[in-house]
Amino acid sequence: MIKFEIDGKKIQAKSGSTIIEAADAAGVDVSHIPRFCYHSKLSIAASCRMCLVEVENGRKPLPACATTVTAGMKIYTKSHQAMQAQKEVMSFLLINHPLDCPICDQGGECELQDLSMGYGRTSTSFIEGKRSIKDKDIGPLIATEMTRCIHCTRCVRFCSEIAGLRELGILGRGEHSEISTYVEHSMQSELAGNIIDLCPVGALTSKPFRFKARAWELRARAGIAGHDCLGSNINIHIKRESDSQPERIMRVVSRTNEKLNETWLSDRDRFSYTGLYHADRLARPMIKQIGKWQETDWETALTVATQKLQNVIAQNGAQAVGGLISPNSTVEECYLFQAWLRSLGVPHIDHRIRQSDFDHQIQSPLVWSTCKCVQSLEETTSFLLIGSFIREEQPLITSRIRKATQGGARVHVINPVDFDFHLTLTNRCIVSPWGMVCSLAAIAQVLFGNDKKKLNIMPKPIAELIRQQKPNTVEHDIARDLQQDKAPLILLGALAQAHPYFSYLRVLSETIAIEIGAKTLHLTDSANEAGAWLATALPHRRIDGVSIKEPGYNAKAMLAKTLKSYCLFGLEPTYDSAYPELARTALQQAECVIVCSAFKNKAMLEYADVLLPIATHLENEGSFVNIEGTRQSFQRSVNKPFAEARCGWKVLRVLANFMGRPGFDYQTVLELSSELSRNLENDLQSEHIPPVDFKPLPTVSDNTVWRCGYWPIYRNDSLVRRAEPLQVLTVEQDLAKLRLGAALATHLKVNNGDRVSVSSDHPDAKPVTLQVLIDQRIADATVCLPSGLPDIAINGPLSVVRITT
Amino acid sequence: MSLSFAKRQINSLLLLELFRGLSITGRVFLTRAITIRYPEEDTPISPRFRGMLALRRYANGEERCIGCRLCEAACPALAITIEADVRSDGSRRTTIYDIDAFKCMHCGFCEEACPVDAIVLTSEMHYHMEARGENIFTKDKLLAIGDLYEEKIAQDREKDNA
Ligand code: SF4
Ligand code: SF4
Ligand code: SF4
Ligand code: FES
Repeated sequence: MIKFEIDGKKIQAKSGSTIIEAADAAGVDVSHIPRFCYHSKLSIAASCRMCLVEVENGRKPLPACATTVTAGMKIYTKSHQAMQAQKEVMSFLLINHPLDCPICDQGGECELQDLSMGYGRTSTSFIEGKRSIKDKDIGPLIATEMTRCIHCTRCVRFCSEIAGLRELGILGRGEHSEISTYVEHSMQSELAGNIIDLCPVGALTSKPFRFKARAWELRARAGIAGHDCLGSNINIHIKRESDSQPERIMRVVSRTNEKLNETWLSDRDRFSYTGLYHADRLARPMIKQIGKWQETDWETALTVATQKLQNVIAQNGAQAVGGLISPNSTVEECYLFQAWLRSLGVPHIDHRIRQSDFDHQIQSPLVWSTCKCVQSLEETTSFLLIGSFIREEQPLITSRIRKATQGGARVHVINPVDFDFHLTLTNRCIVSPWGMVCSLAAIAQVLFGNDKKKLNIMPKPIAELIRQQKPNTVEHDIARDLQQDKAPLILLGALAQAHPYFSYLRVLSETIAIEIGAKTLHLTDSANEAGAWLATALPHRRIDGVSIKEPGYNAKAMLAKTLKSYCLFGLEPTYDSAYPELARTALQQAECVIVCSAFKNKAMLEYADVLLPIATHLENEGSFVNIEGTRQSFQRSVNKPFAEARCGWKVLRVLANFMGRPGFDYQTVLELSSELSRNLENDLQSEHIPPVDFKPLPTVSDNTVWRCGYWPIYRNDSLVRRAEPLQVLTVEQDLAKLRLGAALATHLKVNNGDRVSVSSDHPDAKPVTLQVLIDQRIADATVCLPSGLPDIAINGPLSVVRITT
Repeated sequence: MSLSFAKRQINSLLLLELFRGLSITGRVFLTRAITIRYPEEDTPISPRFRGMLALRRYANGEERCIGCRLCEAACPALAITIEADVRSDGSRRTTIYDIDAFKCMHCGFCEEACPVDAIVLTSEMHYHMEARGENIFTKDKLLAIGDLYEEKIAQDREKDNA
């Protein structure tokens, strides 16, 4: 701590901090130093000179952002010399800046505009022509007006330091310098939208929001992002109802939360709102009457739903009903969903729509993860990443890992595809999905393969698998590095979760973690997986945490067993399920399918009987539990969700009321939350959990081909699938191709551009014909074909597939 | 007391107040009448008169309004409703520009706020509505009014600037 003075006030600051940091820490009451290029999360450029301040005994004003404080320093931010310097800098900045704020989309929320009110002159002596720069096309998300750029280079620094992609840079010198992507292309980074917030002027603005509203018309409401498991904090900007338009969500921007998203936001969370008012949005409840859809009021729709469901239960028993809820639903919705169905006697309830292997479910902990590791990710020095396209799944967690690697952290990856993470990887095992399990077992063998005692207490097939392995050098390296590290972190991604041998991966990674003293973190690709577990939207566990003796069907079995009736909440199983073919058949044959959803799609109109419109997470109220186990509540941002849509918890409550279930009398979401919290308190009951049987090892032949069917970033849930600007980016990626490595192509005797049929490994699976694209990043014996794409439905995202040429 | 009583008596006897009143009548009787035959005749008005609203164009026919919504924000009566979007040439233009003439109190703040002199109050005061809904001056209507009165509007601004 050093003592010094700002504007005559005595202040302390950490030694080594800059004047601007110290002044900001002291608060605005002490002083506010104007700045453009300085940003607390980026490196220091000291290029704009707006922050010049006077320092006692200094010969000339010094930039506050690049000058470290020293003991006894006396700083004047408002002295004549400082003000004069700042005013001169401002007039230089305005030389080439257009003076037409009313035209600019940043007007009203512009740092240059604000500061020019304080430091600008009222008249100009500049008569020469202003320079003008051609605008750049950098994709569907960001609009540019490069003439307004003041070359603060915040955007450039963001791209290289945080996003890990040097996409923007300065071309030219002096008068001719301009910001540009070197070769014209859409920005590839999934964090690119942050440069909109960063740009202090109107050079970079949001394209979907362009000219739609002005900052002063908008009302900001706090919300929680609902597309990944981080739980980023957001502000939702809403425009009030007018004669010409109902109340509308106009945009989403980030809200600072140092523990989670810092000041950033991924593009998926920032731009998903553009899907809100898509033509597919359900405006009113709909019922199918003799094969024809008609819109109706809530009363009728709920009555019809009640009758149909009660009919099925009366004829076939509650066993014939299955309930699937999206893991993106709020904790309250999950809780009510299971409570409602359980009150009807329905045993089949699940949210694990993307999982393939449920063997180990009974031994899963009640609370998914309580390790508060997100903030400490940057200090972690060794990572083992298993089955994750983490850059697309968790853009902001990736940026934290990237920062860790910049500090020397090592990242080891076990993946079926050599995904590009824009970060330096130390070791990579690019192996087929089954190979992933083997690699992990090999690492386990290096770590404790000789320890008979340890192997003996492990489940038989897993111990057997560990014994079989012959670790290669990469696996040795990984094991050694993990062993030597103080506190390594094992990350299991969405591909691990969707893996047909998830239980193996899980037991192996947990054993390894215990062996080396590591923490494990499950990175789910939904917002509230942890909350859905807590609220027991599960077939095998009651809300008090006790296991159910005879559990109901899990998400996969429910679809495979073709029940008489399904209740879907917030899901489009033909896109969201790991088993889209099964889902379609099962739903189509069912007598009664009740869907609570914000959007409709073609398949849904075929299989559903009643459609009940619900709010999306941007309009909803409730809470999400993020990956760290932090429960974050949010209130309704809008007065009323779109058209006739209602918050999900209300729909579920009223459904329960209509079916005459007692105890569903919640007036507000708060009542519901507090009841849930009470239930969770006495949750931690210990009970004896019987050991589970693991499925035997698969037989893998030379001809076995596995699929890697990850969910592309913008195909992940109903809302992003409808966000047009994000879909443009998805189309650019040209995903509907069968990607495979050269070795497999030779083996199959196919070439680039050939058309082949792919189907899941089931006798009556329907094949899909696709073009082959040879891609060196794909592991041997593996093809890459993403899930969630339109018109491509293949069961099992990481299962064996059949390919016929 | 008695003195003022006497004074009053004399005043009323001499009909002084009557003559004083009549002198005004006489004076006015002899000056020129200021009554005008409205509506055939108009009183002169200032170039700053704030009458019917209009949206102006540039000489090349391009609408002036850039959809900045400053007038909407400035309007104390909340009479202006604007929706804007990107036009095909990339510029911002209003898609809806409605002024409710019933709400408008002709304060002229919108004209004051407008950076491009698009929304103006013309010197025209002779307008009326016959049907419900006509009180909403749409963008088309406002532009048409502007086209019709452009010359006068320009003259008035000229005079005001001089
Ligand atoms: S960038 Fe800021 S200062 Fe420049 S025109 Fe836009 S609003 Fe005005
Ligand atoms: S585009 Fe914006 S953020 Fe980038 S250098 Fe220019 S002013 Fe700074
Ligand atoms: S009339 Fe003028 S102030 Fe109103 S939106 Fe148009 S340009 Fe802006
Ligand atoms: S903020 Fe210090 S030089 Fe730009």
